[in-house]
Amino acid sequence: MRKFCRSPHVSKGDIRNTGNVGIFTTLALFLIVSTINVLAQDVIPTPGPAKSVSIPAVKETKLKNGLTVAVVEKPGVPLVTAQLIVRSGASSETIKNAGLADITASMLTKGTKTRTAEQIAEEMEFLGGSINSGAGWNNSAVTIGITSDKLDQAMAIMADVVLNPSFTKAELDLLKSQAIDGLKFNLTQPGFLATYAASVYSFSEHPAGGTPASIESFTPANVSEFYSRAFTPNNAILLFAGDITSAKAMSLAESLFSKWPRPSTGSGRGSGFGDGSGLPTRKDIVRRILVIDLPNSGQASVNFFKPIESIGRASEEFYAASVLNSLLGGGYSSRLNQEIRIKRGLSYGAGSSFTWRNGKTNFGTRTQTKNESAAEVAELVVAELKRLADTTATEAELNPRKLALTGGFGRNLETTGGLAAALADLYSFYLPTNVLNSYMTSVGSVSEANVKAFAAEHLHDGDMIIVGDYSVFKDDLAKRFPNMKIEVIKADELNIESPTLRKSNVP
Amino acid sequence: MRKSIFIALVIASVSVASFGQVKVAPLPLKERTLANGMRVVTLRDTSSPTVSIHVWYDVGGKNDPPGRSGFAHMFEHMMFKATKHMPDEKLDRLTEDVGGFNNASTWPDYTNYYEVVPSNHLETLLWAEADRMINLNVDERNFASEREVVKEEYRQSVLAPPYGKFFWLLDDITFQKHPYRRGVIGNLEELSAATRADAEKFYKTYYRPDNAVLIVVGDFEQKQLDGWIDKYFGRIPKPSGEIPRVSVVEPEWTTERRFNEFGPRVPFPATGIVYRAPKTDSPDIAALRIAASILSGGESSRMYQSMVRTQQIAQNAFLDLELNNEGGRMSLIGIGSEKGTSENLEKALLAELKKIQDSGVTAKELEKAKNQLISQAIRNKETNDGKAFAIERAVAYLGDAKAVNNEVAKLQAVTAADVQRVMKNYFKDNNRVVIYYNQAKPTEGEK
Repeated sequence: MRKFCRSPHVSKGDIRNTGNVGIFTTLALFLIVSTINVLAQDVIPTPGPAKSVSIPAVKETKLKNGLTVAVVEKPGVPLVTAQLIVRSGASSETIKNAGLADITASMLTKGTKTRTAEQIAEEMEFLGGSINSGAGWNNSAVTIGITSDKLDQAMAIMADVVLNPSFTKAELDLLKSQAIDGLKFNLTQPGFLATYAASVYSFSEHPAGGTPASIESFTPANVSEFYSRAFTPNNAILLFAGDITSAKAMSLAESLFSKWPRPSTGSGRGSGFGDGSGLPTRKDIVRRILVIDLPNSGQASVNFFKPIESIGRASEEFYAASVLNSLLGGGYSSRLNQEIRIKRGLSYGAGSSFTWRNGKTNFGTRTQTKNESAAEVAELVVAELKRLADTTATEAELNPRKLALTGGFGRNLETTGGLAAALADLYSFYLPTNVLNSYMTSVGSVSEANVKAFAAEHLHDGDMIIVGDYSVFKDDLAKRFPNMKIEVIKADELNIESPTLRKSNVP
Repeated sequence: MRKSIFIALVIASVSVASFGQVKVAPLPLKERTLANGMRVVTLRDTSSPTVSIHVWYDVGGKNDPPGRSGFAHMFEHMMFKATKHMPDEKLDRLTEDVGGFNNASTWPDYTNYYEVVPSNHLETLLWAEADRMINLNVDERNFASEREVVKEEYRQSVLAPPYGKFFWLLDDITFQKHPYRRGVIGNLEELSAATRADAEKFYKTYYRPDNAVLIVVGDFEQKQLDGWIDKYFGRIPKPSGEIPRVSVVEPEWTTERRFNEFGPRVPFPATGIVYRAPKTDSPDIAALRIAASILSGGESSRMYQSMVRTQQIAQNAFLDLELNNEGGRMSLIGIGSEKGTSENLEKALLAELKKIQDSGVTAKELEKAKNQLISQAIRNKETNDGKAFAIERAVAYLGDAKAVNNEVAKLQAVTAADVQRVMKNYFKDNNRVVIYYNQAKPTEGEK
């Protein structure tokens, strides 16, 4: 693809946010006053009054077998996204069977009692539609995108793959070899390697996509067993968004899924792998430095990771964390991108994120830079984390970051796919759907003090993980982080299933 | 499985009359040209209180100055720096800070600048776009810093990903003369050589109203919008002098060329077989898009079924259409699996080519491809910004905004015979470039 963008933070779709104008209005008025008597073209125009935003309503019902059905009617464009999620994902795995949730979900479209994998792809693609399945940490999902005139045929295929998967050995073997090849491909990328190692090293979890050994070990019986625990109607939600009435959606759900039997035992919810215990209590920003040495790497990936064990997606602190993230590393004008890219030209982009779990969140910052500047960038990241905890942001800085956050939220709801994804997120965490309507107010009520307190309490004692050509930045890293032990693992030696993280047992 | 190695790029614009029972009305565009030569396309859509603003410039990677590969793209980054009336990054203040966003991208044939904002900010953004069309101040410090950012972008897209260099080579070693060979991002050496004086000259040469198209889609009142456009863009003078155009013509490719290339970290072998594509306004484009869909659109496609599922020599295999105004390239790509070699990938890619050339496609395959491409066209226009992009592609590649409304009819008209004919005409043994891409042997000093 020969398109090169100004910003890697590509947004899609439109926006639904009203712009509260706070700081912006003040600035504009100032300019008008100070530029009196100049040409109209020299004066920055002031925005008119903001229009109100309508967040679509969610209609929800439950079938007798426990399946929740939720619909958002969005007429206009003749498209529907339908998604079936179950509240079981990679969190139900351990490192020994890491990747089983994703393999199980992926196997759904690889054959049913009456359709082969080829037939499923052929029939859906003939309709001009798409069908995708996979698992994340908190859920597994089957998603279809289709024009509304062909919804009935597409839903019949979706119901078949959810209810009647065949899990043949031949299809599983092919999927396993594809997954292992894909992993081998990803493990040559510095950014992926850092996240992969952090799953165990920093977050006491396992990589959601699996390890070569765990994937290799799966049998049809494993897949079948995971499926029967996870894919039950009382653990599932069927979502529709787009050009469909709620009556039509309910009738499709009833006719296709009412015979899905509810099991006598519980759902497939499971606990994660590790407990993340043993963190020391001192308050340095960086607790450990790990370097994964990738000779000849085209760039270095520089990351800071910190698990926060006490706060989950359902916590009210979710909003303070989200605003903090928008300030620190969410979007083009966030502080990390300001300092690393805009001021110093050290990267194409730098950012941060919270990855949410039930009862826990994983914080991370990410950026790539030339190997020569890896240590400098690591130092800049630490400085920004420290600044968050030590100083209070002004309202003038924080308000625009809140608007950037709510604006992005609104834009995501403009497509049927974005709507379905937002709902799937809420259902996965057992949150009410009216969170869609209260989101903007909740973000607005986060104060500058809340952000500072969150940083001071949580964003310390984390891990700096750098993946790149160590020989290039070794001396600089030692100089910038004196008194810190730097653990180095050769990329070819990395084995995250071993307690030493190495293939050989000699650290 | 959420895994993707490379997303093939196709020209995708719009839709029309009827597809199955779905009716899609043509977009009711309004077009006009200001006295200074700037073209304006507007489309009112009040389904959300937002507006998408695109300024499209007829300058792209192909217009890089001599010895300055990658310059058009680097200049695009400079357009977010200070103007006579705005400090650095003011565009971010006017968009991101009020809940909107902005971006820009440079293609081989053109450059676009765009933003989506709450509709009460429309006038402000029109003012800002007009201001940076005429009043940009390129200063030395900004220029030097942004040049480093673009070098990091090069490293991140070409050097760091396992197949980054392979995809870069598809342009670099196939085109013999045409500037398309620079692949927009350029190279580190020529990026380093660029100066502020180059930027000033480039700005004066290409950033002018008679080289731009303004596209506005969304929630506005037509009369008010027209007034603002006249007020802010109408007073920009039309510069004198011709706008230079690329006159280099790529010679016909008449003999097979083969390359063995290597990268530092290549997980599996890859093979690319590259052919010349016709110009974007060629009547054969629709048939080529249908062929690409039959060969590699989805898991029921021929190449996926044969190379990924049956032979299991590839992780991914596809026909990549890189369609450009002056004739781009079309590449059969195979990214190997554990069982893949450059040789068996080449053999399998050519076997699929021969099959479609010798035996054509079935009626069912043809219908499936049309269904896929038409629903994709509907999906691409789901939002105001999506519609603006579709209009922009029609402007860029067909020279006519209204062509956005012809896409579906063109796809519908394609016959099985058309598909077979274009595959025979454009894909020949003696006009192809074959690239093998493999892991380099460890060099001395590497551990």
